[in-house]
Amino acid sequence: MVPISYYLVLSGILFACGVTGFLIKRNIISIFMSIELMLNGVNLSFVAFAAQWHALSGQIFVFFVMVVAAAEAAVGLAIIIAVYRTRETLNIDQVDLLKL
Amino acid sequence: MPQNYVPIFIFIAFIGILIPVTLLAAKLVRPDNPSKSKLMPYECGIDPVDSSRGRYTVRYYIVAILFVVFDVETIFLFPWAVQFKALGVFGLIEMLIFLLILVVGYIWIWKKGALEWV
Amino acid sequence: MTHLIIFLFFGALCLAGAVNLLVQRHPINSALSLVVVMGSLAVEYLLLGAEFVAAVQVIVYAGAVMVLFVFVIMLLNAGEEVRTKGSRVAMLFGIPGMLVGSALVGWVLIERTGSQTVAAGALPGAPRTIGWLLFHNFLLPFEVTSILVLIAIMGAVVLASHPDTDSGKKKS
Repeated sequence: MVPISYYLVLSGILFACGVTGFLIKRNIISIFMSIELMLNGVNLSFVAFAAQWHALSGQIFVFFVMVVAAAEAAVGLAIIIAVYRTRETLNIDQVDLLKL
Repeated sequence: MPQNYVPIFIFIAFIGILIPVTLLAAKLVRPDNPSKSKLMPYECGIDPVDSSRGRYTVRYYIVAILFVVFDVETIFLFPWAVQFKALGVFGLIEMLIFLLILVVGYIWIWKKGALEWV
Repeated sequence: MTHLIIFLFFGALCLAGAVNLLVQRHPINSALSLVVVMGSLAVEYLLLGAEFVAAVQVIVYAGAVMVLFVFVIMLLNAGEEVRTKGSRVAMLFGIPGMLVGSALVGWVLIERTGSQTVAAGALPGAPRTIGWLLFHNFLLPFEVTSILVLIAIMGAVVLASHPDTDSGKKKS
């Protein structure tokens, strides 16, 4: 028997790590991976709450989050490829113009 | 039940132990006198011409991106497949609508030529 | 007791991966530590009983999404990132703010959930039950998902295809 709050604290720490990575990372791919880390933290809290309330809807919601994450990864990485093709850089400090 | 997955973890732990142990045992037992030509990468008997760390273009990254999206589609097929009898015709029609929308996208990228080997 | 030990072991592994993701400068190291995070999270899902979620986590996240990440890192030859003024400002204000915010959220969570415990495999999420629920209570979200995926396919192809190649001309 493990207190449900342990799972929630773990998911909270994962989310916080994701936010920190989002703030301090300067490589656009690393920032994108931090977003994936945040989504994973939220998924863990969904599953933990599903176990707490005995509602399977929480687990179903995880699937929709995963679909959104995969779609986001596909489109986001396509955007990164397009950005790299025009700017020749992955540092977001140098990608600060809306048009070339 | 998580108890059913214990054999898988025993298996993984066994592999994790077995690989270092065999590598270490081989290192202890085998004769070890390397020379320059022995350490050279083997390329069908011809001397290697270039560093193997060089870059070469990957043209099929669009296929990799599309794979992720269609991989997600299959995770919805799986729960439907195990409940196929209980869901009946209704489930079949719903899944066909789901697949039809995705096939539209598939035909579109095919027509657009994104799957062509450039 | 074994439940707690397994939870703590894989939780620690998960946190180590997450921290390593932040510390590493090279994107490929970050990507590989993210694989560790996702794999150990799959074990945590399994402990909560969500078997199918754990399998999908391994297949989709660790299998497909991370391969795509590694692929893009290799394609763009992403090197070590450089720390700039912007990152120092973000570190100065972002990390304390993040710590305060997460402490607040954690306090509320612990306060509200109390000491309620959960047994190993508390809520079995087998594919069978998931499938029944998906086709009854969540039918509309399920169908709308296909539209989202369709848009993702089209957007990815349009954005990633080379502008000066002949994609587009082939449309007959």
